Amino acid sequence: MAFNFWEAQRKARSRTSFYVLVFILLTLAVAAGAEWAMRAIDTEDYNPPFPLIGLIFVCLTFIVALFQYLMFRSQGGSYVAESVGARRVDPAYATLEEQQLLNIVEEIALAAHLPTPAVYILEAQEINAFAAGLTTENAAVTVTRGCMQQLSRDELQGVIAHEFGHIYNGDMAISLRLAAMLMGFYFVLYLAMRMMQLSNMQRSSGGRKNSGGVIVIGALILAAAGSIMWFAGSILKATISRQREYLADACAVQFTRNPNGIAGALKKIGGETVHDMPKSGMAISHMYLADTSFFSDLFATHPPLPLRIAAIEGKTYMPDEWKQQP
Amino acid sequence: MSTTMIVIGIVALLAIWLIALYNRLVGMRNMVKNAWSQIDIQLQRRYDLIPNLIETVKGYMTYEKGTLEAVINARNQASAARKAIEQSGGPTEGSLKELIAAESTLKGSLGNLFALAENYPQLKASEPMQRLQEELSSTENKIAFSRQGYNDQAMLYNTAQQTFPAVLVAGVFGHHPADLYQVTDAEARKAVKVAF
Repeated sequence: MAFNFWEAQRKARSRTSFYVLVFILLTLAVAAGAEWAMRAIDTEDYNPPFPLIGLIFVCLTFIVALFQYLMFRSQGGSYVAESVGARRVDPAYATLEEQQLLNIVEEIALAAHLPTPAVYILEAQEINAFAAGLTTENAAVTVTRGCMQQLSRDELQGVIAHEFGHIYNGDMAISLRLAAMLMGFYFVLYLAMRMMQLSNMQRSSGGRKNSGGVIVIGALILAAAGSIMWFAGSILKATISRQREYLADACAVQFTRNPNGIAGALKKIGGETVHDMPKSGMAISHMYLADTSFFSDLFATHPPLPLRIAAIEGKTYMPDEWKQQP
Repeated sequence: MSTTMIVIGIVALLAIWLIALYNRLVGMRNMVKNAWSQIDIQLQRRYDLIPNLIETVKGYMTYEKGTLEAVINARNQASAARKAIEQSGGPTEGSLKELIAAESTLKGSLGNLFALAENYPQLKASEPMQRLQEELSSTENKIAFSRQGYNDQAMLYNTAQQTFPAVLVAGVFGHHPADLYQVTDAEARKAVKVAF
C-alpha cells in the first residue's frame, strides 16, 4: 500500500464525515426503535398522535450536546490544561529546562506555519502530552514533567510536533463534538434512571398505578436507547481518535523531518512503568499523546504503540519522496 | 471606425493585463520579503548571542584564543553579509550566496568551539553556558524550519517572473529572481540535529 501523506490526510477527513453520518443515522434509528418498542409494549396507555418518546430522545440528546459543545468552545485550550492541574510556563521565570520547551514550541510553530500556543507543564512523572483548544488561536499544549526529564531534545521536539499535528488537522474540534454527543446520551441515560427511581418511590407511597407503569416503561426504553448509543458513540470516538493518532505521528515527521524523535519518545513511553496522569483527566484521555488506561482495543483512543512506531519507521502515511531517504 | 474600436479594445486589454501582472509580482515580492524577514530575525538573534558566548567562555578558555577569534571573525563576516542583503532590499542576485558561505564558516568555527568546551567541565556545567547553547541550537532550528517556507515563496516568485509572457516585462518593472537558501543535504541534516 503506497500511502501518500496528503492522500491519507484527505481520506481520514472524509472517513470521519462518513462515520459521523452513520452515527447520526444510527441515532435516528434507535429513536425510531424506542418509539416502536414503546407502542408495542404499552398499547393501552401510550398512544400520542406523534412519536413522543423518539422526539424526547433525539431532542434531549442534541440540546445537551449543543450546550456541552458551546461550553467546550468557550473554554479554550488553557481552561482544559488548567482543569487537569497544569501550570502555564512564564517565559520571564523559565528554568533552563522550561526555556528549552518554549524554544521547541516556537520552532515547531514556525515549521507548521501556526501561531505559537500557550505552553503548560503538568507535574506528573509519566511521559505524556496533550493539545487542547478548538481553534489554532486559543490552543494550548501541555507536557508532563516526566516528558521534559526523560526525553532528549529531539524526542521532545517530536512530541511537541505530534501535538501540533493535532492542532493542524483540527482533531480537537472533531473529538470535542463527539464527546459532546456522548454527554448527550449519557444525560438521557441518567435522566431515565432518575425517573425510574422517582416512580418507584411514588409507587411505594401508594400513587396511581397505571400512569406510573407508563413512566417506568418509558424510562426503561430511554435508558436502553441511551446506553446503546453511548456504547456505539464510545466505539466511534475511539475509532476516529486512533486514525487521527497515525496522522499526528506523520505530521510530527513532516514538521521535524526527523522520524527518530517521535519514534524514540514512543519507545520510551512503551518502556514506562509509572502511570500517574491525574484521574480528572480521564475525560480528555483521547487527547493524550499516549493513552495507557484502555481496557480493550475497541475502546482504546490510541493505536498500540508498536503499530504506531512501525508506521513511523515504515513511513506509512508519508509522501513517497521521503521513503527514498535513508 | 470598427478598426479603431478593435485597436482601442486591444490596448485596453493589454493595459489591464499589465496592471494585473504588476500587482501580482509586487504581491509576490512582498511575500518573499516577509518570508525572508522570518530568517533575518533569527540570524540577527544568533549574531547577538555570539558575543555573549565569547564573553562567557573567555574566562575558562584562556588558551584557546585562536578558536575564539575564528568565531568572532566568522560572526562579523556573516553579520556583514546579512546587512548587505538588508541594504540591497532583499536576497537577490547572488547576495545570499555570500551569506550562505559565511554561515557555513561560522557553523564550523562554532562547532570547534563547542568541541573544545568539552574539555572544560566547569564551563559545560555552568548555567549561562547551557542557556547559550540551548538558545543557539534553537535559533539554528528556527532558521532551518523557516528556510523551507522562504524557498517555497522565492520559487513561486521566480517562476512568475520567468514564464512567458511575464518574462518580457518583469525586468522592466524592476523584478529580479530571488536567491534560494539552499544548503547541501548533509549540512541541512546537521543543522536540524544540533545536539551539544
